[in-house]
Amino acid sequence: MGRQVAIASAGFCEHAVRRSDVSMPEMVKEAIDDCLSKVPSVGIEDIDMFVNGNMPAFEGASIPELWMTDWMGARNKPLMRVTTGGTTGGTVAIAGYYSVAAGLPGVDTVLAVAFEQQSQGDTSVGLSSVALGELTAIQSIGMPLQKMKRLVSAGAAIGIAAYQATNYMRKSKITEEDLARVVVQNRRNAAKNWYTHLKMPNVTIEEVLDTPYISYPLRFGMVCPASDGCCAMLFTTEEKAKDMADIPVYVNGVASVANETGIMGYNAGGGGQLDPSEQLGAQRSAELAFDQAGISFPGKEIDYAEVYAPFPNQELMWVEKLGLFETNTAPEMYANGTTAANGEFPINTSGGVNSTNAIGASAMERPAEAALQIMGKAGNQVPKTVHTSLGHGWGGIINLITMMVMADEPKRKFK
Amino acid sequence: MTEQNVVTNKGMVRAEFNFWVGKYMDKFYDNLENKKIVGNKCPKCSDVFVPPRQVCGKCNETIPLEQNWVDLTDTGTLKNYTITKWKITERGSRKVKDSIIGMVQIDGSNTAIIYKLLDVDPADVKTGMKVKIEWNDKTKGEPGDIKGFVKA
Repeated sequence: MGRQVAIASAGFCEHAVRRSDVSMPEMVKEAIDDCLSKVPSVGIEDIDMFVNGNMPAFEGASIPELWMTDWMGARNKPLMRVTTGGTTGGTVAIAGYYSVAAGLPGVDTVLAVAFEQQSQGDTSVGLSSVALGELTAIQSIGMPLQKMKRLVSAGAAIGIAAYQATNYMRKSKITEEDLARVVVQNRRNAAKNWYTHLKMPNVTIEEVLDTPYISYPLRFGMVCPASDGCCAMLFTTEEKAKDMADIPVYVNGVASVANETGIMGYNAGGGGQLDPSEQLGAQRSAELAFDQAGISFPGKEIDYAEVYAPFPNQELMWVEKLGLFETNTAPEMYANGTTAANGEFPINTSGGVNSTNAIGASAMERPAEAALQIMGKAGNQVPKTVHTSLGHGWGGIINLITMMVMADEPKRKFK
Repeated sequence: MTEQNVVTNKGMVRAEFNFWVGKYMDKFYDNLENKKIVGNKCPKCSDVFVPPRQVCGKCNETIPLEQNWVDLTDTGTLKNYTITKWKITERGSRKVKDSIIGMVQIDGSNTAIIYKLLDVDPADVKTGMKVKIEWNDKTKGEPGDIKGFVKA
């Protein structure tokens, strides 16, 4: 059961702090047009099904997929909306994958679209639709929301990331300079990628360390921006992808694993964890996806990785937890240039979530960038040939991880 | 088991939302400010949209931003209506007088917009009747520039 799935194309719209020049459907259409422009033989009429998603309530627009149905070209076709918090984009991509893998008659080619126009809404109020599950439960033991907000979700996702950061720093003995170095690499990479938000071609470690703390150890200069933007990915069968794309990218492994809730746990009885940087979800999702793809030594077999890191400590943590580098060696890899665009194992040369974060789209932009690096069509293309790559996503509160492993050869094992 | 009401939020949550109307609606509202109705036409099926839109979903056809604009009159046909005593902001505590809300197809267009019918007796309202826009004296380039429709 199941069939091999391929990525035929991926596209973006230009991201910015405020895309007030376009309505939400108009912005989404820009990314779809970019995606289809890379596969000239494919028209909107060739798409059999659509998957769509963004964060719930961020823009105050309910059921946005119906608003933009015509703009996607989805009228009279199957259309499904998926939303899973910060990993929405990754889950939308995985839903696109499964829609093709299922092998239903008439569903061969699926367009997956993930977007966010944060400037339209109040992100903090929107986040409460994700975080309030936890916060209201905490109130049930008599802790008032006003005080809890400061403890758990200070600055929204950064509140969770700060605990991950302090734990990770203590264990691996890294410095704030190591964190700043990751930021510098990301922002300089973003300057070479056409659609990104924070382009800083000349930013230095000193400049990053000269900004105030938001939540120790994370400084203002280290955290992701809030962006407007959209990403689209075209999934299809192995056979059709060969006709559509010069270099089709085959999806060989997908996984989606959740473990502990953020800090306090859903029933306020604890998150079932002492160490938020342990990341069992990341470890398990990597195991599952690599197993499907037949990868035994990810550090050697994978050529390129896009990991979801709004905050620099997460980037160091993910590349270790996903098995790309040995434990406690990630900071060194950033210092010696291994992870640079021209390095041996480039990471996030797109600029990453740290430079561009249209939340609902971000977790799809990781596999999209990973696929484009194999096709040779990425905005900041690495000089080395990429055969195998991965795109990873992270969502807060319920620590939800999405993984998509892909290659230029079909290798998915169906047991 | 004891039952307990754990969360009662009596305060107000302040949430500010913007709404980016986009390139096509921007033109529409600019024209409303000058008390004019414009639509745009699908190059394939010739359907005219009021308000204008980027894509004709029926044909999967993108209508270019700079082309296919149609100037329309401020008259139309009542396609459908309902009569209500209630305002959406009131929770059934206060009655207001009958108000008629109708779907109006602007002459020369293939779509309908929804506004109040003004100065029409509920006994006289009829589907298919001709109506005309009643403009606000001061227009701002927003939906409220149209006060409603009156009998033509």
